[in-house]
Parts: sequence; structure tokens; C-alpha cells
Amino acid sequence: MDFLANVAAGFIGLFNAGGATFMGLVTGILPTLIVLITFVNSIIMIIGEDKVEGFAKKMTGNIITRYTVFPFLAMFFLTNPMAYTFGKFLEEKYKPAFYDSAVSFAHPILGLFPHANAGELFVWLGISSGITTLGLPISGLAVRYLLAGLVVILIRGIVTEKITFIMMGRKGVN
Amino acid sequence: MAYNAIRLEKGKGGWGGPLVIKPDDVRNKVVSVTGGGIDPVSMKIAELSGCTTVDGFATSVPDEQIFVAVVDCGGTARCGVYPKKGVFTVNLTPVGQSGPLAQYIKEDIYVSGVKVENVTLAEAGATVAQAAAADTGSAPKAAASQSTQSSGKFGFITKLGKATGAVIGKFYAAGKMTINMVINNILPFMAFVAMLIGIISQSGLGNIIAKAIAPVSGTLPGLLVVSVICALPILSPILGPGAVIAQVVGVFLGLEIGKGNIPPALALPALFAIDPQVGCDFVPVGLSLGDATAETVEIGVPAVLFSRLITGPLSVVIGWVFSIGLF
Repeated sequence: MDFLANVAAGFIGLFNAGGATFMGLVTGILPTLIVLITFVNSIIMIIGEDKVEGFAKKMTGNIITRYTVFPFLAMFFLTNPMAYTFGKFLEEKYKPAFYDSAVSFAHPILGLFPHANAGELFVWLGISSGITTLGLPISGLAVRYLLAGLVVILIRGIVTEKITFIMMGRKGVN
Repeated sequence: MAYNAIRLEKGKGGWGGPLVIKPDDVRNKVVSVTGGGIDPVSMKIAELSGCTTVDGFATSVPDEQIFVAVVDCGGTARCGVYPKKGVFTVNLTPVGQSGPLAQYIKEDIYVSGVKVENVTLAEAGATVAQAAAADTGSAPKAAASQSTQSSGKFGFITKLGKATGAVIGKFYAAGKMTINMVINNILPFMAFVAMLIGIISQSGLGNIIAKAIAPVSGTLPGLLVVSVICALPILSPILGPGAVIAQVVGVFLGLEIGKGNIPPALALPALFAIDPQVGCDFVPVGLSLGDATAETVEIGVPAVLFSRLITGPLSVVIGWVFSIGLF
């Protein structure tokens, strides 16, 4: 009997630990997150997608903003996965590079703007919670993740654009 | 060519349906967006209805030609994209209304958990559902323009009141949207993560795994190796869906950082090391959202996958450079 009781205690212990973790996540992260996301959603609704589209189109002209500002606007205002519809503003040859660039920004944006891809929040939250456990601030990490993310999506956009051009050239597609 | 009406029922644990639908001369393509060729359910649908199958990863089909889209989505993106476009959607994974586009997933356009045996010919005389028009958001816009028209004659105070009301309405809608997002996307993942952490940390399993992967994840060269593996074109589309793997690995690395087994300075490179596969499962759908042609999709998929081999490890180095001076 004692043995069975011990097994049961161990079994429940697993889920008590899980429950404590869940409680920590809900009380520690959700309140601020909900208010922050509500705020950003309000801003997006007040500005309206039409105005963003007009500005975003101007960003497609040169290679630098095409793979930094343009995907940032797409991800911030339309969020994952509708952000990729901004591809319609680009010529066919730029579309794969834009997709690559935009989708690669779906996680670096999370540190500061979690509304953009809330379903995949734990890519950021998982690692940053380790920093919180150590008692260190995560705001610096969030900013650097976003900035490094912009550099990464720029490079990714340029590399994918070149690869696309080469492959289109081989296939004889204009 | 004669087309037959078919009946699609939800499978075990599935949601939505049953759909009784019939292809016509325009809508006659079964698009299989499942990765790894055309799956048996798509083939069965095509065989019974008299349609042709198309591999959605190899080529793209205009929405108005799609009879049914077959996806295997874990609940983030693909399962909602096609219903939003007004395309009948079969999800092989038993997932209900979930993801950021959950509002578009309805019983009359979407059915999930479908197995080959759930695809049957419709009995004679069954009512056939028509493909719905894509949601263009025209209804709310019409309502909005009406309200501005009627405000012409009223004075300043009325205008101010209406403007305030409109803004408050937007704030309220934003709050509602946020709570839905939390319930549909964030809380389920928190439950999953909490269970995982509970079991891993309490059972001692965590220490075993930590010892095994510490030499890999605790150093910059180790993270580079991880990023190369994640970027391999054969693995990246499999590792991608819902970023579940990236999230689980992220949670795990976070635990190790918290325990001091991985230096906090490696947090930023680690964020990039677990992510070179981001969106690799979604390339054809993402491109078709941007109105890309079939030729572009054919070239775009391999272009993105190959690019990741170069830019994946590079992103880890960039992350490392950016973390200099932090912590």
C-alpha cells in the first residue's frame, strides 16, 4: 500500500510542479501582455490598414528598406500569417525574398511586440524567462533581438533574392 | 468530364463538417498542401469526385480553381488561410477553431481529422454546398460609411460624441481581439509548456537531457551546429510547423540558462540558433498569400530553403555580435 501511495504522490507531484509553473506564467506574464497587446491592437485599428499600405508601398523601391522596414510594417500591422499578403506589392522576382525576410521576423519582433505572433510567443519567452530567473533585465535582450533580427532579415532577403534571380535565370523566367 | 458530389466527414477527434460538395468545370483541383507529395486523402477525394490533384508545395493554383485544399496543419496558419479565402478545407490533423484566423474556421467550410475512410460518394439527392465567397471585410466597411453619411447635419458636440464613441469602440474591439488571442493561442501553449516543464523538472529527466546536450548548447560552436542542422533543406520543412519545436527547445534552453548551465550571454545567439527553419513549412502558402504565380512558387520554395543554409548559421553569428556588452 505504501508503495502505491508513494507512486501516486510522485505522479501527482509532476502535475503540482506543472500547475505551479502554469500559475507563474498566467500571473507573471499574462496581465502585462494582455494590456500591451490591447494597446497595440487599438493603435493598429485607429491607424487603419489602408494608410499603412500606402506608406509600405513606398518602402519597396530599394533593397535596404524592402527587406527591413517593409517586412517590419507587414508583421507589425498585419501580424503572422496575414503579413505575407504584402507580397502582392512586389514584382514576382522579389516575392520569395520578401516572404523569407518577413517570416524570419515573426520571432525577433516578439520581445517588444508580442501581438504580432502571439501563438508562437514561447520562442522568445522560453529563453528570456531563463534570463528573468537569473534576476537580470530582459528589455536589453528584447531590443537587441529586434535589431539583430532586422540585420538578419536584410541579409536573408538579399541572399534569397540573389538565389531566386539565379534560379529564374536558369529556367528562363523573366 | 463528369464530376461526382462527395461527402467529407470529420475523423476521430476531428471538428467541422460534414461537407457535401461537388466540383465543377472551374473548381476542379484538389490541392494537397501537406509537404512530401500528395497524401492519400487528396488522392481519394480526386478519385471519387473526378478532380485532378496538385501538389501545393510544387506549384500554386488560383483560389477560384481549388475544389478542396488538403492541409496538415497543427493549428496555427494553414488551417485558417484557406477558409478565409472561401476555399473548402480538409485538415488531416484533428484541429478545431484555432490559430490567429480561428474566426474563419466554420463547420460549413472546414473539416478536420479526416482519414481516407471518411471520404465517400454523396448519396443521390444530397444537397450540395456552394463554395462561399471569400471574406473581403466589405460588410463592416459598408456599415461604417453609412454611419458617417448620417452624421452630416448634427452639430459639433454630436460629431465629437460620435468620434469618441468610434475610438472607444475600437479600444473595446481591440480588447476583445486580445482576449480571444490569449484564449485561442497563448493559454493553450502555456498549459502545454507548464505540463512539459513540470514533468521534465520534477522527474529528473531534465538533468539527464541537460548533461547530454550541455556541450552542444552551452557554446557558440555548438549553437552553430544546431543552426546548421535546423537549416538542412530536408529537415527544415518538418521542423517548422507552428514553431512548436523552436518553442519547446526555447523553453528548455531557458530552464538551463536559469540554472546557470548556459551563460546568459548566449541567449541571443541561441534565439537565432533554434530558428533557421522558421516558416520553411509555409513557403508555398505564404507566397500564394502574396499572389505569387505558380512559377514563382516553384522557384521560391527551393530558393528559401537553400538560402537558410547560408543565413541560418550567419544569424547565430549576428546574434552573438549583437549580444556583446549585454550581461
